[in-house]
Amino acid sequence: MEQGSGVRDQESGKARVVFHPALCCVVAAMMACCALPAPAHEKSMPMPDWAVNAAKTATPDDAKNAPAVILLDEYLITVDAQNHAVERERYAVRILTPQGRDYAHCTAYYDTDEKLHYFHAWTLGADGKQFQAKDEDFADQGLAESEVLQSTARLRTLNPPGADPGAVVACETETELRPYMDEETWAFQAPVPVVSEALELALPPGGHFADSWRGYPAIKPEETTDSHLRWEIHDMPALDLENVRSAPAWGALAARMSVMWGDMAVHGTAAQWRELGLWQAALEEHRADPTPEIAAKAKELTAGVPDFYAKLERITDYIQKNVRYFVIETGVGGWQAHWAADIYRNGYGDCKDKTTLLIAMLDAVGIRAYYLHVDTRRGVIDPDAPSLMGNHMITAIEIPAGVNDPRLVARVKMAQDPEGKTSPEDNESKDLLIFDPTDEWTPVGLIRSELQGAYGNISDGENSQVLRMPVLPPAAGGITRVGKFTLGVDGGISGEIDESRVGDAAERERAEIKYSDAHEIHDAMEQSLSGDLPELDFKGYEFSSVGDLEKPLGLTVKLAAANYAHPAGPLLLLRPRIVGSHVHAVPDVMAGRKRSYPIVLGAPGTWRDSFEIALPAGYTVDDAPEPVKMDVGFASYQSSVTARDGVLHYESEYVVRDVQIPAADAADFRRLELAILKNEKSSVVLKKQTIADSGQGPGK
Amino acid sequence: MRARLICCLPLLVFTFASSTAYGQFHDPTKEELAMTSDPKAPDAAAVYLDYEEKTDDPLHYYSVYARIKVLAEKGKELATVNIPYLRGETKINDIHGRTIHPDGTVVPLEGKPADLLQSKSGDEQIGKRVFTLPSVTVGSILEYEYQIDYDDNIYSSPQWWIQQPYFVHHAQYSFMPFPAFQKGNAAMTSRYLEDPKTERVLNHMMWAQLLPSGVKMVNDAQGRFTLELTDVPAIPREEHMPPIQSTLYRVLFYYTWAASEGDYWTEEAKSWSKEVDHFAEPSDAVKKAVAGIVAPTDSDLVKAQKLYAAVQALDNTDFSREKGKEELKVLGLRQAKRAEDTWTQKSGSKEDIARLYLAMLRAAGIPAYAMKVVNRNRGVLDPTYLNFGQLDDEIVLATIAGKEMDLDPGEKMCPFGTLDWIHAGTGGIRQDEKGVGLTFTPELKYADNTTLRTADVYLDAQGQVKARVTYVMTGQNAMGWRQTALIYGKEEMQKRFDRMLQEAMPGGVEAHVDHFLGLDDPGTNLLAIVNAEGALGAATEKRLLLPGFFFEARGHVDFVNEVKRQTPVDMLYPDRVVDQVTYHLPDGVSVEGAPKNDQILWPHRALLTVKVAQTPGQVVVTRDFAQGFTAVKADEYADLRGFYQKVGASDQQAMVLVTTAEQKGN
Repeated sequence: MEQGSGVRDQESGKARVVFHPALCCVVAAMMACCALPAPAHEKSMPMPDWAVNAAKTATPDDAKNAPAVILLDEYLITVDAQNHAVERERYAVRILTPQGRDYAHCTAYYDTDEKLHYFHAWTLGADGKQFQAKDEDFADQGLAESEVLQSTARLRTLNPPGADPGAVVACETETELRPYMDEETWAFQAPVPVVSEALELALPPGGHFADSWRGYPAIKPEETTDSHLRWEIHDMPALDLENVRSAPAWGALAARMSVMWGDMAVHGTAAQWRELGLWQAALEEHRADPTPEIAAKAKELTAGVPDFYAKLERITDYIQKNVRYFVIETGVGGWQAHWAADIYRNGYGDCKDKTTLLIAMLDAVGIRAYYLHVDTRRGVIDPDAPSLMGNHMITAIEIPAGVNDPRLVARVKMAQDPEGKTSPEDNESKDLLIFDPTDEWTPVGLIRSELQGAYGNISDGENSQVLRMPVLPPAAGGITRVGKFTLGVDGGISGEIDESRVGDAAERERAEIKYSDAHEIHDAMEQSLSGDLPELDFKGYEFSSVGDLEKPLGLTVKLAAANYAHPAGPLLLLRPRIVGSHVHAVPDVMAGRKRSYPIVLGAPGTWRDSFEIALPAGYTVDDAPEPVKMDVGFASYQSSVTARDGVLHYESEYVVRDVQIPAADAADFRRLELAILKNEKSSVVLKKQTIADSGQGPGK
Repeated sequence: MRARLICCLPLLVFTFASSTAYGQFHDPTKEELAMTSDPKAPDAAAVYLDYEEKTDDPLHYYSVYARIKVLAEKGKELATVNIPYLRGETKINDIHGRTIHPDGTVVPLEGKPADLLQSKSGDEQIGKRVFTLPSVTVGSILEYEYQIDYDDNIYSSPQWWIQQPYFVHHAQYSFMPFPAFQKGNAAMTSRYLEDPKTERVLNHMMWAQLLPSGVKMVNDAQGRFTLELTDVPAIPREEHMPPIQSTLYRVLFYYTWAASEGDYWTEEAKSWSKEVDHFAEPSDAVKKAVAGIVAPTDSDLVKAQKLYAAVQALDNTDFSREKGKEELKVLGLRQAKRAEDTWTQKSGSKEDIARLYLAMLRAAGIPAYAMKVVNRNRGVLDPTYLNFGQLDDEIVLATIAGKEMDLDPGEKMCPFGTLDWIHAGTGGIRQDEKGVGLTFTPELKYADNTTLRTADVYLDAQGQVKARVTYVMTGQNAMGWRQTALIYGKEEMQKRFDRMLQEAMPGGVEAHVDHFLGLDDPGTNLLAIVNAEGALGAATEKRLLLPGFFFEARGHVDFVNEVKRQTPVDMLYPDRVVDQVTYHLPDGVSVEGAPKNDQILWPHRALLTVKVAQTPGQVVVTRDFAQGFTAVKADEYADLRGFYQKVGASDQQAMVLVTTAEQKGN
């Protein structure tokens, strides 16, 4: 699902000349086997001077603990008068540990319209021996690895000779960039340090460019000759998130620059977003025109419905249930949807296709909707750094004036004047509902958490702009769990739990139900419950409202477990939080270390547990955990245990109000998590009542 | 004309259809259309109503036909079909398919399925055709067929893997071999097969099979093999399964020169043995090397140990990196043909190194033989399957002080005197003084694979702890970490160890490795020194509650999920984990309740022993878990589960601490 525009993405840890996998997935194609690029049959070529010089670079001090250090990574993009571009990359890496070999497996993507001109590689061993990669050192593979993907895109990978610690591997590739794209993104940060990097842009005479930067101060290019520009960066530190839990996506933190040429090269952030939206609009022009069949179906679905929400619900539900996710892409198909008529007939498509059919059906019943290009990795799309970065297409639906249905929660206002020249109160025009038709489990009106608080680029002609998707209120997500149990004198417990799930909690479970058979669901549930109840005797489960997205997803679980309460001398220890946990383990924060990155909380929501446990006759509560009540702004937690008439009552409420918090809030996060952790681990101490101590214990 | 044997053809092909496609499609019955669940497969998301594979060498085609009922959302995944094929020698000519809705509406597959590259390496290209059936709903019947045509000179050897991911109501397989291999045609014709490696003529067609009880394959008068089955269970999915292919129903056809099982293994083993002896000849160069390593006064055991250490120190390319032909050329190296090549080049594959060790032992005058075994992580030896390719790796059997020892010099970091678990309790062929033969290696013992975890846990009155933890590992447990360090580097190994610790520590406690000792020396224990701290205890109004077993507080217990078992339980190797945790209590706190001394026994299989010792200011909890078995049969599963459940319950015991004042008050 990863993708960008023309991104050189170093996230994977390998030098990559990344092609831009298409929206929503991968790339694929309905065409006979495209010819492989010119056979390598590598002639003998000595290691070129640029590689020899790069290999002389000393390993910087900050790379001592890294698996590898990138000594050089330079790109040259040459654009012709038709704005078609060819990209050359020169890359040299020193392997420092066996693990560092991963950085030496240079790769090149190519496709029907992205021809790979050449791919050469050399190794300079630590002992000074030189090797040149030969045919046997390269392998090609199709990228259609997924069962739901057909793609003509391919990947050539180097298995370099002599790639041992201390060696320097140098690679040079040249690839034609896709002729329909006038943008490349230079991802100049990697999980290992980079000593020297550059991007050169050779434009045709009179050519112009625009650039946008993210996570790094903008650099002015040096104009080496007429229309030949060069940006240089030295000593870029590593961005290594491997052991950082709950961090935003790598791509959301890594520094990058996007450069546009041709018609895309306009100046000013708002103007650049507009240009990108116009490009998308041109690509999809007429794709979403409703055919008579589509219009008839949309009208049939909405016949006699009482209101706007119901109209939307009928159509979105139809697409969610009847258009299977399957991706067929070749070349521009990575960006361009199929025709609505084909999607409707086949009953399958990718995210662009589902959006296209939705726009067409809504259009047929008088509702306007738009393509909204987003990324499921929150933070990858940066409002201040316009680019075609993004991996997903969803829909923005125009809400008519006066419609204030409370079920339409995922709403956002679109600016009348994206450049913000007018005052904020006058600068709101369309009221939009954000909806993801590829998400088959979230009802219209809501969006799942990975989209909340993220940005997207809406394609609305001259009014195209970047939008922030809303963070939904805590009431829109979470689980309410009610349990009734009976504790035996032997510590065994039996009972039933009723759950009601909304928002992400429902979406995830519904997805699980779709992708699993009953046996797998049973096993997964049993596995999860047995973490809390080691001697679980799982009696069964029943879901309700699985297909009815408008209703909360219901789940009833029946269970028993031997030895749930543990004897300790004369006491019986009972953990009243019988199942589930709200602990969000972030080791570096919990250990009190300084946090450098935001903490991703997950989905906003409200989780309420209410358990009643009938105690065995003769037992009373001798000791119980103190009640907890804590509110840190972005989240709150409260919990209490009481006992009355031989029944223990456990209540807890956990509320999350945001999707992510800044690193500065780490101390509050730690305080909250410690309170939750201690509370969840705590037990009630039961004591067999004797005549002597009758009448003692809290809550009586 | 000389034909070639293309053994890989069946492996590349999963499903196909004939050019007369629609004529062979079946009209569904009313019951099939109305079906919403299947009593024979109660939880299934789909079932195969029919599945058919045909291979016809005289007509040069292989075809697949499938009819599938979708019963739940997940079953829709079967609407997409990937057909891998070998480009150049095979061609997919016909693909037809249709979706039938529960109301009987038929939606045909239209368009040309994509022809995509799957992989290309050297001259070999594997392509794949992909199609997805249209308009699929829960309740639909999916029906498709395809046909792969292959060149005239390709002999196929079908491999019928009979179990599918879903239950199959009716399955049919057929194979028509070339006339030379049909019944009554054992005599040579103008066509014959040749083993490309040995150039032996392959004039017998055989098959290895594992079929449900009562099911028999038929070989008819025309020479056609057919197999028909009903109610085939889905491929099992269970925890701790042995290599899955060893448990599945199957018929594997192949061509061989041998007329019988005995002939085959005897001849192949002899040929292998000759090759080994040639490589491992104790030449002058090898003798000279040995003389530089051992002293004449060394005992055989010491000699064997010194030589073992010497070959283990070589670059083992299975653990570092295999060099390509061009690279070897630049380095002035060559593919080792003799043991001295490996020694001179200080580098070799694990097989080269095992054979070098064999040569060195022989040069030192120690009787030693080679054995080629199945990697137990990959498969189980089937002697009825006359395929030498079943055997993976070589080990060395040396007689020292009159006792034969199994040694694994090719397995980097494997301690002297033991085997990697993948080579223990597995079948293979061996050399001995009488010749060669099939045999099995011994199983490992739990005492050889130990982990001792100790923790000194210092507790404060609020339940916060600081702990100094050590892990002392031997045998397989140490070898695994050492190999990780070798393959991925020490930093990466440390990261992985930290991740393992995080899974093992009680919730709220963070642990990180401080350093390792003995990481590079397989002859010693591997020690990990770990620092841990965090919130271990949970306070109530009057008490502090702690997990009774520091290392088992996560509460994960194996084998709770499956009530019944279809396949054997494979634990890979026996082992023993001893935990010794000393809780240092804060002043004014005493123990009100602690885990009980206990012993849980599964006779001849496993034992848990718990001992608790209290002294003023501290409690020592010792937990000793010995799993003395490698694998158990499915019919012993109830006993195994019962034992593990008791262990799980024991591990849940808590420690209750109370302030001395509070206790007095009570």
